[in-house]
Amino acid sequence: MNVQQASLWLLGAMLVLYSVHTHGLRRCQVSMDTRHIEESFQEIKRAIQAKDIFQNVTILSTSEALQSIKPSDVCCMTKNVLAFYVDRVFKDHQEPNPRVLRKISSIANSFLYMQRALQRCQEQKRCHCRQEATNATKIIHDNYDQLEVRSAAVKSLGELDVFLAWIDKNNQETSTA
Amino acid sequence: MQTLTIVLGEVWTNLTMWCFYAFIPCLLIDGVAILPAPQNLSVHSVNMKHLLTWSPVTVPGETVYYSVEYQGEYESLYTSHIWIPSGCCALTAGPECDVTDDITATVPYSLRVRATLGPQTSAWSTLKHPFNRNSTILTPPRMEVTRDGFHLVIELEDLGPHFEFLVAYWRREPGAKEHVKVVRSGGIPEHLETMEPGATYCVKVQTLVKAIGRHSDFSQAECVEVQGEALPLVLALCALAGFVLILVVVPLSIWKMGRLLQYSCCPVVVLPDTLKITNSPQKLISCRREEVDACATAVLSSEELFRAWI
Repeated sequence: MNVQQASLWLLGAMLVLYSVHTHGLRRCQVSMDTRHIEESFQEIKRAIQAKDIFQNVTILSTSEALQSIKPSDVCCMTKNVLAFYVDRVFKDHQEPNPRVLRKISSIANSFLYMQRALQRCQEQKRCHCRQEATNATKIIHDNYDQLEVRSAAVKSLGELDVFLAWIDKNNQETSTA
Repeated sequence: MQTLTIVLGEVWTNLTMWCFYAFIPCLLIDGVAILPAPQNLSVHSVNMKHLLTWSPVTVPGETVYYSVEYQGEYESLYTSHIWIPSGCCALTAGPECDVTDDITATVPYSLRVRATLGPQTSAWSTLKHPFNRNSTILTPPRMEVTRDGFHLVIELEDLGPHFEFLVAYWRREPGAKEHVKVVRSGGIPEHLETMEPGATYCVKVQTLVKAIGRHSDFSQAECVEVQGEALPLVLALCALAGFVLILVVVPLSIWKMGRLLQYSCCPVVVLPDTLKITNSPQKLISCRREEVDACATAVLSSEELFRAWI
């Protein structure tokens, strides 16, 4: 192989690598301002977590779930966990305290707004769900189903800070990418 | 005939009683509800401050109170029976309620109000169209542009945590570039630029609200002029005078100090001419003897002369 052929081959390889890289970057860029949600949660965190009687069990924090998610699966996973909270957790939790109810309502409606934003990305084919994300979502639902519904809802509410921190971390990585 | 009359009477009594019992629920909805429900509910929202207003329910001589409840889109879709009491207006006197702290997401919110007077409560009156905070009116912010020496400083009004500001400033001259700076919060003086004397600088600002993805219009531009054409000339003259002074004074001082040091450390002794010796020391001693002899001879001669005179 002469020099000309080698340089052409190298150029071709670089082009291939570049296109793969930019495809990975063409993710769903949604502004996730979770600051006010975190503030709302901090105000009720103690009250919620005090009701969680199953301290040795976790729903979100297992290694197969959120922590092992690759960057290309972040959009799908975010969408799935938002749906988990909106469709199951908030509905299953009966809150008698008006102060806590106001904060949960604020979080629930904010999650609904974020879901809508991610829905637009999905319609534009920018939020593809691979098998890994689907499996991780199933693990979360299975963990939830293993507990009695009210206990599971309280525990999931108590782990909101885990989910919010995960969103923040992945948002920063997306913005620096 | 009598039987018919009796039967008709019984039917009439039953009918009357039936109607009476039928109307009781109408009178007893939500407690003893004879108060009219508030009307004309509307939300007036400016710069992310949302005010719910309604026409007051007036009862002569009495103060009517109102209860406000809300329901976000989540509640209306998933738990439609749940209405949440407003944080500020669970029970309020005025025909208005600041629902800013209740409307905390960018989704449609339903709002409802009812009147209360003692044990009496009215029916709920619901806002006709749900309110979404992304319809808030955004106005250009107030700003104060000041000059601190040569520093261009701006202070923006504090509109709360939802607001950031986009500040544009430029030097007012043809072809000048417009600079842009994002200020995260108002109420604190912000330094924009160090200005050049004799120039005019202009500033305009708009608000950004990320939560609803919108911004206001730009404010009117405000300009400040920096005086100072004479000042550099005065400074230059002073600098020149100082430089000349330094050129003269410093060498003079150095020379004077040198002389002082010379006299202090290594003084030079100079003999007067009369004490200078040009011959050898032996000759000097013999000359001195001859001089003494000459002096002695000269003295005898004087005594003789004196005796002779006496």
